Amino acid sequence: MNVEAVLTALLSAAILTSAPLLLAAVGEAISQRGGLLNLGVEGSMLVSSLGAFWLTLETGSGALGILLGGVIGVLIGVTFGVLATLGRADQVVLGLGVTLAGTGGSAFIFRERYGSDQPLIAQGMGRPFEGLLDWLPVIGPAVADQRWFIYVAWSLVIVAHVMVTRTAFGLRIRAAGEFPLGLEAVGGNVGRVRIAAAAIGGLFSGLGGACLSVVELGFFSPGVTAGVGFLAIAVAILGRWSPLRILALSLLFGLLTGLDTGLQIASVGIRTEFLSMLPYAGIIIALVAFGRGARMPRALGKPWTGISGSR
Amino acid sequence: MKSHLAGRVSEASVGREHPASRLAPPLESLLALGCTFVISGLVLLFTGHDPVDAFGELITRTLFRTSGLQEVVVRAVPLLLAGLAVLVAAEAGLWNIGVDGQVLVGAMAAAVAGSWLDAGGRPLLWSVAIGIGALGGVAWMAVPALLRMRWGINEIVTTIMFNYLAISLTAWLVKGPFRDDSLVTPQTPMILRELRFASLGDTRIHVGIFLALALWLGIAVWLRRSVAGFELRAVGASPRAARHAMIPVAAVVLVALLASGALAGIAGANDVLSTKGTFQAEWNPEYGLSAFALVFLARRNVYALLPAALFLGVLAYGADVMPRAADIPPAFFSLFEGILLMVFAVLHWRPWSRWTGRSE
Repeated sequence: MNVEAVLTALLSAAILTSAPLLLAAVGEAISQRGGLLNLGVEGSMLVSSLGAFWLTLETGSGALGILLGGVIGVLIGVTFGVLATLGRADQVVLGLGVTLAGTGGSAFIFRERYGSDQPLIAQGMGRPFEGLLDWLPVIGPAVADQRWFIYVAWSLVIVAHVMVTRTAFGLRIRAAGEFPLGLEAVGGNVGRVRIAAAAIGGLFSGLGGACLSVVELGFFSPGVTAGVGFLAIAVAILGRWSPLRILALSLLFGLLTGLDTGLQIASVGIRTEFLSMLPYAGIIIALVAFGRGARMPRALGKPWTGISGSR
Repeated sequence: MKSHLAGRVSEASVGREHPASRLAPPLESLLALGCTFVISGLVLLFTGHDPVDAFGELITRTLFRTSGLQEVVVRAVPLLLAGLAVLVAAEAGLWNIGVDGQVLVGAMAAAVAGSWLDAGGRPLLWSVAIGIGALGGVAWMAVPALLRMRWGINEIVTTIMFNYLAISLTAWLVKGPFRDDSLVTPQTPMILRELRFASLGDTRIHVGIFLALALWLGIAVWLRRSVAGFELRAVGASPRAARHAMIPVAAVVLVALLASGALAGIAGANDVLSTKGTFQAEWNPEYGLSAFALVFLARRNVYALLPAALFLGVLAYGADVMPRAADIPPAFFSLFEGILLMVFAVLHWRPWSRWTGRSE
């Protein structure tokens, strides 16, 4: 067997399959930095995934579909943000509700619209840089031969990193999650900043859902995310809310998943179900090893009730 | 302002602190249910169904037929147990989102134990299988509970991860070591029908209902009438105050989480011992999120869990019959429960108070 070809395929698949997780985890990280623990990612991803899939199928344009996925994500994110700040909802209850409603709603609408059909998106997406880096073994083709949306996703992650760490707006988001009283004291509006963080988080999880159905799979089925949204919450915490660390972690996760598939194909005599425990066990071990010292944003999950406590 | 110092799901944050809401909790629950019916009815309307017909059909099929009523009770039993699991953790200020995984492991453990024990007769088999099922749930909660107790690692993330681990682990066990090789589908050896939970008369209702009712009463007494239960609720209301009152907070957290796991495991054992008789691959009842809807519908009141479980039983049986009766996919009922949870999350939102000048 050609070792180079195998490694290239493994890395290439890892980059593709980790993209939805990466986007959702970065979105969750921004939302948590702003103090909102959003457990609704899974539901938001599913609804956006369905919306993106539908529009891509109708128009034949993956870009339009992904755009719709992002818009749906923003709408769900804003709803979450408004209800969690102005509505003073308990974030865990609200998030679980969004996940349950999103899972049920997307499956319901899919069945209403397509019955038992399983339509596929026929046309693939362009690969703008194909062959450009062929002189570099393994990494070259794996990085350069991806579909265009993967590059958009990675750029957005870098933009998110710069925004969170280097801009005044990012500082406001972090303040809303760490020390909302301080933000309020310098004239900021905790509620507004948190809603904005939830909207950006929603955008990323919506794009992640769209990426899953339109870019990675080419189809939608009820419950297609299979826990990516929940995994994203763990990855966001494990990556300590830094988009670049989350990028590295989700690549690692993609490699672990790919390795598990690779071992199954190579049939090393271990049952596939056993191997599929690897990524989740890995996350828990990593949480124990590195997550212990992690300090959560101080005001994470706490409703902001105004300076005096009652508005 | 005190609410965030209090436990994350303290009673205070759910009701006591809002003097503007003078509605009694049962009325609030009915109000929330009404809102949910209206919102989900609108969804039905937009997707070309007649909501009045659909909900009418749901109610006649579940509540106005003896067979329907029996099925509702049968489905309410595991939901009540799963709801108790969520409630015990929530009363201590903790979130057990791993009920799904604990149900799977508990069910698998009970199925294996039950299939080995075909000699001892019913009472022995039942009690051993339920005990082993509870232990399965405890085992599956042990790691998240210890991580939470020892290093304060958030139980939300770990219990979610353990759900996925449980799906893979039980799938591996049922296709590998515990598989009954004489059958085509991967499943554990069948527990003989005459050794499973006995039916009451010629109904579909089985003795699992006594198990659930006994545990429900036991938990109610424990939480409301015992020192240990008081300590548990004190930790949930304010861990800091509890520590000052010399309550061993870490131990209480551990007990609450393990008890929660045990109840979820028993819910799984109930399903194996009553209706299924075996653990099949790909079987996952996903009671976890429904249990949250149940606990909040009951306003985190242990006594109200029973009627709330019966209502959730109506929805669960509705998901089974409505596809054929009114062409409504079962997923609609997940949507309904999700909307219900969201409505409960914002139950105390009074957006108009800003304009009417009434302070909250």
